[in-house]
Amino acid sequence: MTTITAGREQRAIEWHSLRESARASLWLAQRQVRNTLRVPFEFIPSMIFPLFFYFVQTGSLAKLATTSGITNYKGFVLPVALLFAVSNEGAGQGMVQDIERGYFDKLLVTPAARISLVLGAMGGNFARVTFQGLVVTVLALLAGMDFQTGVLGVIPMVLMASLWGVAFAALGIGVALRTGSGQATQGAQFLAFPLMFLTTTFAPREAIGVHWLHTAVAYNPVTYILEAMRAFSFRGWVFADIAKGLVAVAALATVTVSFALSSLRHRMR
Amino acid sequence: MGAIEVTGLRKAFPNGVEAVAGIDLSVEQGEIFGFLGPNGAGKSTTTRMLTTLLRPTAGSARVAGLDVLREGAAVRRVIGVALQDAGLDYLATGRELLEIQGRLHGLRGKLVRERADAMLALVGLTDAADRRVGTYSGGMRRRLDLASALIHDPQILFLDEPTAGLDPASRQAIWDEVIRMNREQGITVFLTTQYLEEADRLAKRVAIIDHGRIVAEGAPEELKASIGSDVVTVGVPSDQIERAENALATLDGLKEIQADAKGLTLFVHDGSGAVVRVVRLLDKANITVGSITVSSPTLDEVFLRLTGSRLEGASDEEAAS
Repeated sequence: MTTITAGREQRAIEWHSLRESARASLWLAQRQVRNTLRVPFEFIPSMIFPLFFYFVQTGSLAKLATTSGITNYKGFVLPVALLFAVSNEGAGQGMVQDIERGYFDKLLVTPAARISLVLGAMGGNFARVTFQGLVVTVLALLAGMDFQTGVLGVIPMVLMASLWGVAFAALGIGVALRTGSGQATQGAQFLAFPLMFLTTTFAPREAIGVHWLHTAVAYNPVTYILEAMRAFSFRGWVFADIAKGLVAVAALATVTVSFALSSLRHRMR
Repeated sequence: MGAIEVTGLRKAFPNGVEAVAGIDLSVEQGEIFGFLGPNGAGKSTTTRMLTTLLRPTAGSARVAGLDVLREGAAVRRVIGVALQDAGLDYLATGRELLEIQGRLHGLRGKLVRERADAMLALVGLTDAADRRVGTYSGGMRRRLDLASALIHDPQILFLDEPTAGLDPASRQAIWDEVIRMNREQGITVFLTTQYLEEADRLAKRVAIIDHGRIVAEGAPEELKASIGSDVVTVGVPSDQIERAENALATLDGLKEIQADAKGLTLFVHDGSGAVVRVVRLLDKANITVGSITVSSPTLDEVFLRLTGSRLEGASDEEAAS
């Protein structure tokens, strides 16, 4: 009987602690969203480049793509524009500012679970990149894009992109926590370039002739995320592609979030 | 049980620097304890270990009876912390900053708003409550930082250089507030400072740390009395200091002599009586006396006597007063 009561008490404590961590993460995410809205010039340019890319790319190459067999070129390009939109190059810079100004220490001396500081930052990023992704997608739809899976497919495609965005943001947050340096954090964002370009950004996998590039594309997790997003916008409900995309984004997030958490522990040594 | 109990606390960083070399401390509940030392002595590192921001390399520390290593979250529930750099979010308003700090400390709903309002009133920032922190002056930021450390009504307050860089009026306002909280609410204060006047005015007991080791501990008056002598400060040109030191070596009643860039500090039995003899000895050695003063020992002189150097903050403090 005593063992049962002790077990219940332990579960109640764990549940309470989990709930408190979730709340703390939510407040910190809200804070990040509020701060983002207060400096709009930090996030508006992140939407201009992907839109520019989408409209220039589809305007100049749509006919050429059609002759190569890509009938819905807008549906092919939109996921790329979306990935650009959600790869927040400023991720981690807010954390660097908090560290430099001593506010991060102020958060660390509260009883909130320390994992909440990382989860809160990621949550704020998730809200930001989801908003950016929705804006880009809605503008593309308004400009006459034919979305293969209809309105039902829009949300999961944007969410898939946002998950990649958050996984990518966790890398920036991890570097910020480990180094406390704005320059190092900025430098880490350059990792996005090989990930975004050594993939099927400009042509489908079967059209890539160069062997080394073909191999790089096969090993790049972004390839599978992009193909999953194209399932929604371009190919239709191809569940195998969607599942591979989810596995790829989960694997990437596991690596980057683990890095961010280990960087937090490193900072506390 | 004391509010803070520290035994053999040590911190060595991976680069080999031993910032705190095994210290013992005991702070009673309800007292203001001054932790005094020059820059780089190990004050902030000690504070960071006691507030769970850094893991000690060895030793143990209990705050409010809780182990800082094993019960970190519980420790953080009962302490308030205002670190050397006022840790603030410049994009938030003062009220928003206090509310989020309160929520992270477990305050909810109406209570968090009431506490934020009360703290803003306490530190005189009600009128600026809805302005962004980035627009605040240095003194306002310090006061807001203090308010954020108090939002959850802590038992023990850690203040790390709370008045560094402040003008005399802002410094006085912080001192008054610390004294009031201690008297009215019985809050224990662990005050880290390099300002001697601050320690002298606020602390019931002080510990002096140098190169990571505690070199003295006790009530300020006890420490001053422990020198058992008056202090005669003699200003001489820097190129004559060595000769002056030699000339005064034979002074009657001399207990100790310390030289620095501005002149000499002499610890003597009878300061007033020694002045004439000092002037005569220096005159005989053809040394120009720029100034000569007699005083009772200050904490700076206690530090000088114990370590052979002055506290760095002493000159800043004089300039600011």
